Amino acid sequence: MDVLANRTLFVFLLTAIGLIALPHSNHLPSPLVIFFFIILIWRFIGIWYQRWLPGKILLYALTFTGLALLYQQHLGWLGRDPGTSLFMTALSLKLMEVKRQRDIYLIAYLAFIVAASQFLYEQSMFMAAYIVFVCSVLLAAMVMINSRHANIKASLKKAMTILMQALPLTLIIFVFFPRVEAPRWLLFEDPNRAMTGLKDSMEPGSISDLGLSDELAFRVKFTGTIPPVASLYWRGPVFSYTDGKRWTQGRHQGSGMTPSVSEFNGDVYRYTLLMEPQDKPWVYALDMPSEFSDELFQNADYQMLTRKAPDKRSEYQLTSSLLYNTGQLQEDEWVKNTQMPGAASPKIRRLIADLQSGTLSTEQFVGNIMRHFREERFSYTLRPPLMENNPVETFLFETRTGFCSHYAAAFVYLMRAANVPARVVTGYQGGTLNEVGGFLEIRQADAHAWAEVWIKGRGWVRYDPTAAVAPERIDQTSYFQQQFGYELAQLVPRRNLQGSFEWLKTTRELWRSLDYSWQRWVINYHSANQLKFLASLGISGLNKMIYWLIAGIAVFTAVLSGYLFRQRQKPKDKALQLYARFCKKMAATGLVIRAGEGPQDYAGRIKSVSPELAGPVDRITGLFIRYRYGKKPSGKDLSLLKAAISELRIKKGYSVKGKSRSHF
Amino acid sequence: MNSLSLKDRFRFSRFFRGEKPVDGPIELNQRRIFILPSAPGFGFVILIFLLLLISFVYNNNLAYLLTFLLASIFFVTILHSYQSLSGLVLQQGHSAPVFAGEDAAFEVLIYNQTATARTQVQLSLESTLSLDMAPFSNSQVRLQTRTSQRGWHYANTITCFSFYPLGLFRAWSPLRFNLKTLVYPKPWQYPLPLPQTLSGAAISGNTKRGVDDFAGVQTYYPGASIKSIHWKAFAKQQGLLVKQYSGTQGSELWLDYEETSGSVEDRLSQLCRWVLDAEQQGLIYGLTVPGIRLPPDHGKTHQLKCLEALALF
Repeated sequence: MDVLANRTLFVFLLTAIGLIALPHSNHLPSPLVIFFFIILIWRFIGIWYQRWLPGKILLYALTFTGLALLYQQHLGWLGRDPGTSLFMTALSLKLMEVKRQRDIYLIAYLAFIVAASQFLYEQSMFMAAYIVFVCSVLLAAMVMINSRHANIKASLKKAMTILMQALPLTLIIFVFFPRVEAPRWLLFEDPNRAMTGLKDSMEPGSISDLGLSDELAFRVKFTGTIPPVASLYWRGPVFSYTDGKRWTQGRHQGSGMTPSVSEFNGDVYRYTLLMEPQDKPWVYALDMPSEFSDELFQNADYQMLTRKAPDKRSEYQLTSSLLYNTGQLQEDEWVKNTQMPGAASPKIRRLIADLQSGTLSTEQFVGNIMRHFREERFSYTLRPPLMENNPVETFLFETRTGFCSHYAAAFVYLMRAANVPARVVTGYQGGTLNEVGGFLEIRQADAHAWAEVWIKGRGWVRYDPTAAVAPERIDQTSYFQQQFGYELAQLVPRRNLQGSFEWLKTTRELWRSLDYSWQRWVINYHSANQLKFLASLGISGLNKMIYWLIAGIAVFTAVLSGYLFRQRQKPKDKALQLYARFCKKMAATGLVIRAGEGPQDYAGRIKSVSPELAGPVDRITGLFIRYRYGKKPSGKDLSLLKAAISELRIKKGYSVKGKSRSHF
Repeated sequence: MNSLSLKDRFRFSRFFRGEKPVDGPIELNQRRIFILPSAPGFGFVILIFLLLLISFVYNNNLAYLLTFLLASIFFVTILHSYQSLSGLVLQQGHSAPVFAGEDAAFEVLIYNQTATARTQVQLSLESTLSLDMAPFSNSQVRLQTRTSQRGWHYANTITCFSFYPLGLFRAWSPLRFNLKTLVYPKPWQYPLPLPQTLSGAAISGNTKRGVDDFAGVQTYYPGASIKSIHWKAFAKQQGLLVKQYSGTQGSELWLDYEETSGSVEDRLSQLCRWVLDAEQQGLIYGLTVPGIRLPPDHGKTHQLKCLEALALF
């Protein structure tokens, strides 16, 4: 078929491309997205009005516009965002210039790249299913190019068949293909892209889904012993001002003020901190740093800052003590850390009165709050519901579910409402020990938020309300358990559920467990996990991995080709099967049906050679023709045919050839 | 099918020219079908490597998954490419003689005696044509080829190929049949009066049957013209008789090689023109070329015999 003039094909292809590019509109600069879709719609119109398509000069102008937009929006070419935009723009421009069949293939391939780049932004199960669906549409377009008629249904069916048959092989390769971590220099990081890392504000109610990135934040190498995991709090930005929803660092925060720590106690830990590139000058020191190298300085909230450019990987020497006393609180510090967005509601005041009753010290009050969290069925989740209005109250009395920021914010709010100075500290908690290198790796997923309360005589004291709810968040060392352990805790069905919505909850729990598996087995199936998983199957080492990969591919090929071949051998047509049996019987006489010989011609030939077979042969041929070519094939004819063929007896040793030869 | 020797098996020509020509039907099987990536197929490999690089750099497992999916599709497509041709049976058909310069058409029969429908099976000789085949169906195609020389015209390698399903692979099978067609000399294209030959009288002896003067009757013989049957005698129940005429010397036409001029091919062309004209005018004509002498006669069979003699001269 004339591929270039086929409208169905173009409608199909352009729809597929539109579907592929659609999710990109979320994260690419809108001028580029608009440019893309204008060209796509233009091309759509061009299917019916060929002359409206741009000429040579206009095409050059479009190309120039596209490149200029790209440059203006990204100020560079390398990296995830500019790369994706580049491919999108190239795809759209190529759409305008389809002269040969080759161009259509190029468009399809560019579309595959754009589809793959989608995964650099989102890795949910839905996105994966969506992309696979869209790719099958693209494949169907490719099938269409190679068919004589643009038959959408047949093309889709063929594409789906191929896709389904390819899936088992995909899984084999996915499991066994050795994952090697890319060296850092290969990551063409875009300097203008917002890097992941902690933010300079916190708004727990507005986040309904905390991203779990296993991207490395920094590494720490201790010169001596490593402190217990539960005490590994890496201090980041401190938030002391809140408007009720949002927590920020506050106005007086500045580098000019010299923080004071009156005394350090206990063991001293010396370590080297290797920060990954980030966009803020924050250095995450172990609480509480006592000595540090010259390029670092500490702000009034004891947060470490660097004078070096933060977008390069850099190394710092620090010394910290786990026990410390920050001493007295200044007057303005007191004011700053008891700031409230407004008067607390009666409900909160009642709760505070409850928790405060009978307590003699701040420590006892804190203990009561922690017990409240623990005993009042608060739960930890990474996917809390949105709490747009009055997040603290909603969290404390209604949803009672959230992650570290929710707990830290609510805790600090309660303390302040009771006129105790308190603030939120963010940073990282824990870390994974890299046993080969002997250093700790702290990843973005280790991000955490906790609280500090000022207590007379002890200074700022750290309290972690999350630990009260999900102690495993703090204690356990395994990276995966840390990431997902609390999610698993959620999966255990609760026995005392009430109401008729139980099935809904079950569904939700099922979904969570599915999502967990997805995260665990697909998204995070990186080198370490692959090695661990394969080792549990007894496959260790790169060599064995490759042997298994090859063996898997071989087995798959054998099974699939066996399936395809068997399918070809077996005619679905029952009448034809029966007729084949008849031919086989007749072949014993020496009269083999010739290729292309019709049943009637064959029957004629048999009769001319051995007239005594005329009766049964005529009957069989007649029935076969009536059943297979007649207007209304009846099952009765089929059974008659079957019977007639079974009854046909060819005498042993009877050979037409031998008989005819005897004449000569 | 008989087995190939190891030397023949790896003979390079087998992949493009095909095996030795055969008479019978050829089934396309693993011995006959070759598969290699097409240009878009090589492009697809580059695409897979590019995606692999992206997945590697960003350490992104879903991108890996898509890459592996495309690689698996590439792999699975090899089997589907094979399936697009395997099991087809091709057989040579008839081919009508043509005049030199015309297109000869070789007839090829294709049988799909399998449950698999075939999409866009392509056959090429000099030009390419494509066809779809339903399960358990037969087709017949005519492959055109230009002829320039008289004589036997042998069909070259017929290539049966397919890019189905994705165009990433070309599965092909070079086939050689003992397929030949007769090419007659090109008829002389300028007006050329028939020769007023007398020379025939001396050579032709007693077989001077003509259409002019009534010479008597003879019992019916097969092939006698219906016009020459003596119907009156038949009505009188004298049996089926055929009227005999003795033609004048001028009307008995001898087409003689010696009476033409020019090169051999020109002469044959002229003779060809005469044969066609004579037959069209209903004359009785004989043909003499060096070494061949066809006694005067008329009718389609005679004409074909004459043309064949000219073609193979």
